[in-house]
Amino acid sequence: MTTQVAGPGAAPSEQELALGTGPIPAGPYYRPEYFELEREAIFRRTWLNIGHVCELPEAGSFIVRQLDFANASILITRGKDDVIRAFHNVCTHRGTQLTQETCGKRATFTCPYHAWTFGNDGELRAAPDMDRFYVDKKDCGLPKVSVDVCAGLLFVNLDPAPKQGLREYLRPFVEQWETMPVAKATTFSEYVYEIDANWKLTYDNFQENYHLRFIHPRSGGGGAVGPDNPFGYPVGYGFHGEHRTQTIWTNPAPKLSPAQLQAFGKLVPALMQRGLMDHPYGRAYYAVFPNMFMIGTPTQPFVHYVMPISATRSRGVIRIYWVGDDMNASERYGREFSMAMARDVHSEDRAVIEAGQRGLGSGALEHIHLQQQEVLLRHLMHHVDAKVQAYKAEKAGGAA
Amino acid sequence: MSQASVLPAGFEALAPFVEFWEADTAAGRAHRRDISDEAARLAFYNAANELVPKALEYLDRKPLEQFDESEQRLMRLVLGFAHVAMAVELQREEEPKHARYRPFMRITRAPADALPA
Repeated sequence: MTTQVAGPGAAPSEQELALGTGPIPAGPYYRPEYFELEREAIFRRTWLNIGHVCELPEAGSFIVRQLDFANASILITRGKDDVIRAFHNVCTHRGTQLTQETCGKRATFTCPYHAWTFGNDGELRAAPDMDRFYVDKKDCGLPKVSVDVCAGLLFVNLDPAPKQGLREYLRPFVEQWETMPVAKATTFSEYVYEIDANWKLTYDNFQENYHLRFIHPRSGGGGAVGPDNPFGYPVGYGFHGEHRTQTIWTNPAPKLSPAQLQAFGKLVPALMQRGLMDHPYGRAYYAVFPNMFMIGTPTQPFVHYVMPISATRSRGVIRIYWVGDDMNASERYGREFSMAMARDVHSEDRAVIEAGQRGLGSGALEHIHLQQQEVLLRHLMHHVDAKVQAYKAEKAGGAA
Repeated sequence: MSQASVLPAGFEALAPFVEFWEADTAAGRAHRRDISDEAARLAFYNAANELVPKALEYLDRKPLEQFDESEQRLMRLVLGFAHVAMAVELQREEEPKHARYRPFMRITRAPADALPA
C-alpha cells in the first residue's frame, strides 16, 4: 500500500499508518540477540544493493563483494552471453575462497588450492584427477546467489528462492528510477566508512532532517533548511509497503559559499548538455528497505547503503553516480567538488551516531522517543520488528 | 625543470603550491587537506581562488587526454582546491575538529583518478 502525504510540514498521521505514537524499545539498537534475528529475518532474505552494472562493462568483468553479516564473499560476473550471475566465492571441492581479487576480467577462476577451474558461468570446467572423485563435474558448479538489476543498480538476495523478484520488490520506484541518471551511469565517485553503531541507528540519522541545523550548520543545512523551514520538514512523505520516500524541501535562497557557486556553475552546464538536470524526481529521497537510500539531486545523485557487521558496527558505502567520462576540466572539477562536499556533510554525522550508540548500549534507556518528522524511523523499526516477529513465529512453527 | 615551466604560462603564481598540494587521486588530495595546517590552507586558497576559474577556462580548451604534463599538473592542483575550499569556506574554525572524523570517510574512487600519471 502506498500512502502519500504532501505539503510543507505535513507529517502523516502515525495512526493512519498504523504505527502508533508510543516510545520505541531501545534494545533492538544494540542487543546482539536481536541482531542475530535481523540477520536471518531480513538480511539473508532481502534484496540488497551492492553495486552497479557499470562495474561489469564487458563479458568477463567481475566484482567481489564481502557481506559481513553473512560471513560471505559474493562473486558477480558478466558471462560471454552477457548474462550477469552471482555465486558464493567458494570452491566446491573443499571450500577455499576462489579469488582474493575485488574486481577484474576473467573467463575462468582457478582455485589456488587444487586448481579446480570454474567458468564465469559458475560451471566446473576442469579438476585435476577428477576421475578419482565420487561426484560428477556437472554437480560441482559454484553455489548460486540470486542477482538482478534495476535502473542499473545491482542487487543480490541470499535467499536461495526469493519470495519476490527484484522488480516486484521495488515496484513503487522502478518506473521513476529508470528515468533517472543512475540508470545510465557509467562511472561513480565513492567513499566508504565503518562506524561503531548499529545499522538502524546509522541509517536513521539519514532519514530525518531534524538534526541538520545542529550538526550541519556550516556544510549542509543551506539546501534543506532555512528561515521558513528551520527543522527541514519535507514537503511530502510517501509510504510504500516497507519502503518510504520524502520530497525534500527546497530553500529558495540557500547560502552558498563562493567556491560552491563556482563549482556547481561548472557542473550544471555539463549536466544540462547531457540532459540530466531536468527530471521530475530531483528532490526525491528514496529509503529502500532495509538499508539503502537514493537521492535524485542532479548535482549530487548519490546512493548510500548501510550494511551491518555486528549489532554495534556497520559499514556504509556512498556512491555518486555519473553518466559518461569527464567531458572536460570543468566537469571533472565539478564532480570532485560535489563528492568532497557530500563527504564533508557525511563526516559530520559520525560523532553523534557513535555517541548515540554508546548511550543506548549502556542500557540506561528502555525506550527512545520520536517526533512527527521521525515517523520515517518509526516506519523502519515497525517493519524490522514485523519481520523479526514473523521469523520467530516461523521458527517456532517449524519446531512444533 | 624551472618553477615557471611546472605549470602553463599565466599560472606561475601557483608553482610554490605544487609540491605539497598536487596529488594523483581524490583520496590523496583529501589527505593533503587532512595533514595541512591553517596557514598552508589559507596561502593556497588565497593564491588559487582567483586563478581556478581562469585555469578551468584554459584547460577546457583541450580534451583531457591531450593535456601535457604541465596541464595535468594544473588540473590536479585545481582539483586540490576543491578540498581546500571546503576547509576555508565551510568548516573554517571547525576544520581541526572536522579533520578528526573525516578520514573515516575513505575515498575509494573518483572519475579524476583515471587521469594519466
